[in-house]
Amino acid sequence: MKLQEFIVRRLILLIPVIMGVSIFTFWIAQIIPADPAAALCGEKCGIVGSNGLTAYESNVIRLGLDKPVWQQYVIYVTNLLEGDWGESVTFHRPVIEKLRDAAPITLEMSFLSLAMGFPMGITLGIFSAVWQDKLFDQVSRFVAIAFVSLPIFWLAMMFQYILGTQVGICDPITQALPLIPDTEGGCFPIYGRHDPTYTFPDTGTGFHLIDSWIVDEPTKFNPQTNRYEVSMSHWDMFMDTFKHLFLPCFTLAVASTGGLLRYMRASLLEVMNEDYVRTARAKGISETRVILVHAVRNALVPIVTILGFSIGGAIGGAVLTETIFAFPGMGKTAVDAIVYLDFSMIMGVTLVTAIIFLLSNLLVDISYAIVDPRVRLE
Amino acid sequence: MSDFTTDFILYSIYLFFLIFTIGIIFDKIRGKKWAESLEDREEGFTRFIQGWKQRFYDLKKSWKIFRKSILAIIGLTLIVTVSTISIFADDIAVEHPYRNLQDTEDLWWIDNEPRREAPFSEACDWHEQGIDLFGIKTKDYSRYVPAVSDPVVDENGSLTPMPLEIIEIEFIEDDLGYDLNNSLIIVYNETTFFVTDEALNITSSRIWVTYEFQNNDMHHWWLPDGYDVCIMGTTNTGQDLFSKILYGSRISLKIGITVAFLTVALGTIIGSISGYYGGVIDEVIMRITDVFFAVPGLILAMAFVAALQNTTSLTIAMSTAAFLLLFFNILSTRNVISELITGEGTDRNLMFKIKNKLEPQSDLENKVFNFKNSILETALFLLRFRGVLLVGLTLIFLGSFWPELWSNNTDVKLVKSLTLVAIFTLYVVITILDKTLNEGVPSKLISKRISESFDFGNPYRFLALRTILIFISVVLLIFVTKSSDSDFILIKDFDRLWKIQAALILTGWPGYARLIRGQVLYIREMTFVEAAKSVGAPDGRIMFRHILPSAWAPLLVAFTLDVGGTILSASGLSFIGLGAEPGTAEWGILVSDGRRFFPNSWWLVTFPGLAILLTTLGFNLLGDGLRDIVDPKNKR
Repeated sequence: MKLQEFIVRRLILLIPVIMGVSIFTFWIAQIIPADPAAALCGEKCGIVGSNGLTAYESNVIRLGLDKPVWQQYVIYVTNLLEGDWGESVTFHRPVIEKLRDAAPITLEMSFLSLAMGFPMGITLGIFSAVWQDKLFDQVSRFVAIAFVSLPIFWLAMMFQYILGTQVGICDPITQALPLIPDTEGGCFPIYGRHDPTYTFPDTGTGFHLIDSWIVDEPTKFNPQTNRYEVSMSHWDMFMDTFKHLFLPCFTLAVASTGGLLRYMRASLLEVMNEDYVRTARAKGISETRVILVHAVRNALVPIVTILGFSIGGAIGGAVLTETIFAFPGMGKTAVDAIVYLDFSMIMGVTLVTAIIFLLSNLLVDISYAIVDPRVRLE
Repeated sequence: MSDFTTDFILYSIYLFFLIFTIGIIFDKIRGKKWAESLEDREEGFTRFIQGWKQRFYDLKKSWKIFRKSILAIIGLTLIVTVSTISIFADDIAVEHPYRNLQDTEDLWWIDNEPRREAPFSEACDWHEQGIDLFGIKTKDYSRYVPAVSDPVVDENGSLTPMPLEIIEIEFIEDDLGYDLNNSLIIVYNETTFFVTDEALNITSSRIWVTYEFQNNDMHHWWLPDGYDVCIMGTTNTGQDLFSKILYGSRISLKIGITVAFLTVALGTIIGSISGYYGGVIDEVIMRITDVFFAVPGLILAMAFVAALQNTTSLTIAMSTAAFLLLFFNILSTRNVISELITGEGTDRNLMFKIKNKLEPQSDLENKVFNFKNSILETALFLLRFRGVLLVGLTLIFLGSFWPELWSNNTDVKLVKSLTLVAIFTLYVVITILDKTLNEGVPSKLISKRISESFDFGNPYRFLALRTILIFISVVLLIFVTKSSDSDFILIKDFDRLWKIQAALILTGWPGYARLIRGQVLYIREMTFVEAAKSVGAPDGRIMFRHILPSAWAPLLVAFTLDVGGTILSASGLSFIGLGAEPGTAEWGILVSDGRRFFPNSWWLVTFPGLAILLTTLGFNLLGDGLRDIVDPKNKR
């Protein structure tokens, strides 16, 4: 099978799953006791409009609630495809706009956490495979299980406490970067996406780590003159954003390290028994080179597939970290939507997370197929 | 005996009898022959004993592998400790977690800030409070005000205020915090204030009083005298955090084990159907699991919680579960049911006797009402459906007084449950008499048959069939205890966190379904399954007696790991605010409550979180150790 054919097949296989997710979200909206027509008009439901109907009745007709269920589903899907994802009652704006703002925040957090977690997990995994059944392996096994058992929200708050507020832990760093507010000597700011003394323009990509290099003239707020006029460098902006991102990402990274460590260890142990590793040893290459060049590179290939699941885990974990670190991402949006029973937002968030998860898994699978052509044969 | 214990015992009695009855009905439906030969039974018994011997030997071998791993031992120790703590929480804790301090708000101005005592502080039972003079005046116009504590749980389990021993009155201040004249208030005796006229005339000023909290239980009996400390500090409402965490272990363990168990049951049933039948069923189920896997777990669980929001009944979840189980049972027993309905192959003796006595309707034109025939036909009809009639009568009888069964009065409960026991005994006696008299089954066989209806011989049969039975009994219980406003009283009182649990079960089953499907696909091709098929064993028997017992090993590991995962997810959902209301003794809620005071009162977050961590760690370590045992590499 050619690579293109493989990709097309995988894309076609995605369609029923996404349809299933849409049926699921539709079902959720059917079950939620909130009345969407009443939620949209609120106190003005009784007002009679120009067409002789009350606001509530016109809402019912507009949303198609008087039609049979399957027609409602068809309308729902058509609206989804046309980009009309409904109006969020909680955020007072279209769902798709809110999600467009929220998705990059969560994605940025997830990617950065993977970028932190992967090296940690893989390095520890390599060491515990190399020193199999030694003390290090036993300790790392315990550490891996302990990391999996950590409640993310608790870990996040512990990091807030230790790295964010404890005075004197890393004073030199703070003195070198006097940008960080309300930490009073702690290493990292404990909430928010960036320093409140400056803002990012809405026109950027939404990924603040990238945006900080694109912004035309980064300026800070001057409380004396009440204007944005203190100039700052792109580097300061980037570092500040990174520092705000660090704690939530590090939390998620620690949570994902445990599983990765175990997978890497198992994968590497399997590869070490292969013939080509024995051949490489027989050639008389140094052990370090055998492991790093011959074994690890091949052991990494199956690990790639775990990347996709890790993204799902990171998005799920982001629900908790975003709530704690006050990031207005998809997790926080979902929590708010569920607390206020904002049904269109719940549907939107569920669908978008599913699509992101599926697409990232697809990308991972494709890259796996590129690296390991045997996969395409299945 | 605490409420918890009595409830537990009563629920167990109900469940026991329901399971027993339904078990008999099920066996009847499944068309079990009562009159098998005694030799067969003897052989079955020897096999049963041998099976247990083998199992004991396997267990010893497994323990040898298990004890090599220090980590697994640590995990087991952690779990045993947490379980012990949850059982003896009443004795270890110093106060009941739901002591409500806010009830006295009209008399005492609750001062939140000083109540959050640090761990190992000795001031836990010293409360510094302000009394709102305005409040005193409106309470009663007497100048003698009794000094009483916040209500504490007394021997009868009710909340009553205790007299206070006032240590000192520090100062009187007005709204702006300026001191007023000290002499305005005098301590009359140990338990009463004397409020002077002047003090009464001052509106909205506040007296600060330090008093000793006369709760003698505040002292841990297992600490030496003089160490009246709160080990983990106090919460923002002045409650002992240590006690709350102890009681929280009950909720967390219960959620973890219940959810994991039900998830495994649901996943196993669906997965084995999918793997065994294959084809279209398999395809549909696998696509459904794909959809479930596409949404990250926590968000999916949140969506389910949202779907269950404002739902006070378990209708959807329970109907789905009941439907699935019914579907499964009908699938495996459809032949037997059709036999039962047509009346062929069962209950031949008496029916044939009656049928023989029916007068032949030779001349159809002469439609004379035949009295004897009609009586006999009615008898025949009743005989055929006597099982159904019996159950129906019992249910109607039970339903007539059932709602009172759930009142809080323990005496009523006891009487009612005794009545229940009597009814079921009667039912069992009738069934046995029926068997002996009508079908001529010897009583010896009946007693054996009864003892076998609790067949613990095959662990999987116990797990699978009895799980189904427990499920159905719970559903029956719920349907019978439906109150007038159509809420399921039992579940609502039984567990306030059922929304989280239902959501986690609905989120978790696809993983097990896939796991079991893989196992079933693998085992289905083995020789012993083919042998069973060729002998003509029905599908259900092959699935439960041949395939699933061989697939239990990865299931056990997954179950153990899932208990930990469930505790984590449940506390996460509670933390977000989707679980119980604030103030509940649940670890996730405790962390969430403590978050408001976080960096200052670090203990409010740290200790509940540590409890979650340690419990989850215990289950994960145990699961990891079990995986080593189950691993075929280690079996030698």
